Amino acid sequence: MVSSTSQYSNNILKSLLPWIISTLILIILPFIFTGGGSVTIMNQIGITIVMAMSYNMLLGQGGMLSFGHAVYMGLGGFIAVHIMNFVEDGLWLPLPLLPLVGGLVGLGMATIIGSFSTRKAGVVFAMISLGIGELLAASCIVITAFFGGEEGVSGDRTWAPPTFGIEFITQIEVYYLIAFWVLISIFLMYLFTQTPVGKMANAVRDNPERAEFVGYSMRWVRYVSFCGAGFFAGIAGALFAINFEILTEENLSMGMSFNILLATYIGGIGFFIGPVIGAVGFTLLQTVLGLQTDLWALYTGVIFILTVMYAPSGFTGIVTMHYVPWQLGKIHLLFKPYAKILVPALIFVAGLTSLIELTNHVRHHSQETSITLYWITFESNTIIPWIVLLAMTLGGFYVCRVFAKEVVDAWGEANYVEKG
Amino acid sequence: MTSEALKIDNVTKSFSGTEIIRGLNLSVGKNERHAVIGPNGAGKSTCYNLITGRYEVTSGKIFLHGEDITNLSPYEVKRKGLSRSFQITNIFPKMSVFENVRCSLLWSMNYKYSFWHLLGSQKELNERAENIIVELNLAERKNTLAGVLSYAEQRALEIGITIAGGSEVILLDEPTAGMSVSETEYIVGLIRKVTEGKTLVVVEHDMGVVFDLADRISVLVYGEIIATGSPQEVKDNQAVQEAYLGAALEEEH
Repeated sequence: MVSSTSQYSNNILKSLLPWIISTLILIILPFIFTGGGSVTIMNQIGITIVMAMSYNMLLGQGGMLSFGHAVYMGLGGFIAVHIMNFVEDGLWLPLPLLPLVGGLVGLGMATIIGSFSTRKAGVVFAMISLGIGELLAASCIVITAFFGGEEGVSGDRTWAPPTFGIEFITQIEVYYLIAFWVLISIFLMYLFTQTPVGKMANAVRDNPERAEFVGYSMRWVRYVSFCGAGFFAGIAGALFAINFEILTEENLSMGMSFNILLATYIGGIGFFIGPVIGAVGFTLLQTVLGLQTDLWALYTGVIFILTVMYAPSGFTGIVTMHYVPWQLGKIHLLFKPYAKILVPALIFVAGLTSLIELTNHVRHHSQETSITLYWITFESNTIIPWIVLLAMTLGGFYVCRVFAKEVVDAWGEANYVEKG
Repeated sequence: MTSEALKIDNVTKSFSGTEIIRGLNLSVGKNERHAVIGPNGAGKSTCYNLITGRYEVTSGKIFLHGEDITNLSPYEVKRKGLSRSFQITNIFPKMSVFENVRCSLLWSMNYKYSFWHLLGSQKELNERAENIIVELNLAERKNTLAGVLSYAEQRALEIGITIAGGSEVILLDEPTAGMSVSETEYIVGLIRKVTEGKTLVVVEHDMGVVFDLADRISVLVYGEIIATGSPQEVKDNQAVQEAYLGAALEEEH
């Protein structure tokens, strides 16, 4: 009896461990990344995580491809900004509770839209989501009283009554508010996957017909997931409102929906934590790479296409693929071929991206001939950089092709299970 | 109240004007094991699809325990206590064997669309799922993805999913199709075990299995039942001999 009790508490500890670690990481992150702007980026990452996780409730868990998920985030955000302004006029609502309101707005909208859009999955669902997205984006310009027209609606979070003396004036205070909601949201979304309807969402995704023959209406299962996804998207929207204090038509737009789709997919839709990784990666591309080059969207697009074509289970899928060799104790076989291909691969990427940047530079900044790429400054109006970069690209590509065979062989060897 | 578990009353089904089921009448008693045999294309699977709401009937009525279930949707038919298997394996390939069985238990244990129960802590549900897996002889495969099971194991799981919800009436569609002799024995033994005390309707091509398993047999040819009776009566029936069974029995030998 005693042993079973202690085993039970052991299990509880074991299942809580990832959450405790995540909490600790979120607490200490601002102490590690202290550079200017890093808190701003982390806040953005946090919001994208909630949004991407919410999106994966539809796509990854429920098999619903939506092109308009930004609608629920945007509406949650707009209402949140308006409430911030009501708070300024005397409405009592502590800021940390605002995401809950945003969530309820997202939920409310999802209950309405989902009631007819979840009737069918696949193309029909995707097209309805696209239509609703366009409809809302168009209303933004028309209904200026609510959406504020082209300049959007702005607010001021610091008017809210202080919570335990915190007024959320600094970015770091907002960081902890966002971190709190990120944890809560991920935890709740995880619990959802462990409930009857959460599990049936997977069943409906894999085999909707069979799900009906075990007693579940696929439509109702989808509807519940859809409402849940709307709720968490609304939370993300309110977090956005708190962080940026402004919402514009862009937040509801198709572009926003596509960004979330990209982030989630690159991270890996088949894994619970895939969207977290995708959100981190995507936001870094958007912010860090975005500071370096105005072509960041091009590179993100290329990464997306490569993911779809060669790694459909996303970045998380690539990592988890290595679990088998690791378990077989053969992971070391992969180190050498990986290291070998890394150098030509980097040369290839550096060469190709430099060619693209150079072309962009010559095309758009022709009066300025000096250009800095990868910490090297040179003149763009001579022929030599072009020849060097072209040689790097082609040479790197060729060597990669040669070494790729070694990687494939090593991969086969590392996954080989000896018989007997 | 009637002692009939399942009654099909003059059902017809046309696909774009062509009548596939032509006035079908079938009555299966409570706790009976009833086999439906007939040549390929006779309408056996169509008949199942009509009963379980996959297709809508063109005319006629279907009753389950005296209650009209004509044209209900598949999940409504299932909730009334009728469950079916499929000729082409129809499982949840990306979920484990355990999850497959547990999902099939959920509705019958009244969880409905709950998002406030955690599956891990539902003791009775998990125990029942475990027991069914043991019964299916799949205990060692409990955590294996259903999609990578061997064919015979998938067929066993298919039956497991079908019976898990505790339905009173079980419809099996060619449970032994494509199996070796020993696999067939295993599946037939399994069917006997898990349908104990239930009403069973089985579509089957293997005459050995049919005569072994069934209390009564119906012969379906071109969308009509041409004979119903005990295995011996059906064997001796002249019309059946001519239409179907002669050829089928010869094939056996």
